[in-house]
Amino acid sequence: MNNNITSKEKELNETLKKLVVARIEANMSSTLKLSIGSDGSLTKSQMIEHVMGGDNIGERIIQTHLNFMRAQATGQLTTALNTV
Amino acid sequence: MKKGLIITLPQSDDVTEYLAVFSKSITDECEKRAIKFHELKREKANKKEFETSLKSYDYNFVILNGHGEENRITGHQNKTIIKKGENNHILNKRITYARSCWAAAGLGGCYSRDKTSCFIGYNIPFMFLMDITRATNPIKDKIAEIFFETSNRLPIGIIKGQTTNQANSNSKKAMLKGIKKALSRGDKDSQAIAEILWNNYSGQVLLGNKEMTL
Repeated sequence: MNNNITSKEKELNETLKKLVVARIEANMSSTLKLSIGSDGSLTKSQMIEHVMGGDNIGERIIQTHLNFMRAQATGQLTTALNTV
Repeated sequence: MKKGLIITLPQSDDVTEYLAVFSKSITDECEKRAIKFHELKREKANKKEFETSLKSYDYNFVILNGHGEENRITGHQNKTIIKKGENNHILNKRITYARSCWAAAGLGGCYSRDKTSCFIGYNIPFMFLMDITRATNPIKDKIAEIFFETSNRLPIGIIKGQTTNQANSNSKKAMLKGIKKALSRGDKDSQAIAEILWNNYSGQVLLGNKEMTL
């Protein structure tokens, strides 16, 4: 049972990584770098490497994408944008 | 305590270089309004200089540009300038704006119930995008400018006489306007710009006294 959950979680995690990589590929020019504090500034390919590698920086990048997607899906973003 | 600003401007990597370059509009505003300020540039952005300057100038507004973690903020070459439980008491009774990652989550917590101090910072990493074709001349980087113009609204608002709450709110509104503008433009980088602005919008928090002014 636990093995099942773990494998499903792993599968979900891999899907999430692929989704974020696809978003980075589609939505960011190669001339841009992302500054993420003391972790330095990352090129598009470095961002993708961190996401696929699943390290702390990759997790942070995934989290940033998820937060934005969640805000879009829940209407939080629209509500906030309607205030300005 | 005197009316004025102390600002740290480390420049030891490309991130702190950008933070320093885009802070010029903050000190320009001080000059315009004849508000005294003291800059701790490059090597001078260290713990000893910071503590000594704060003690001697005794200005009531502090801006910390640098890398951060929950309990500390660094200066030049990533050396600690302020640490929770060690020297954070020197920020007491002042307005502090920390443009650094995470600091509001730990260090800022010291001020959450403090009615005599105000700490504004980020409880997640402060992020920005930069155009690598402008890396040798950051001030011409129109992409990075979007993130700094919106976060600079906060200290500039305080310098203009707004309360900490008004300045924070205006800065966050500017971030939302930036998201709107980026999304309506709909070019290749729009989504990335909107995402990072949303990150900074969500993570920018005010702790302590909301009605403090310079």
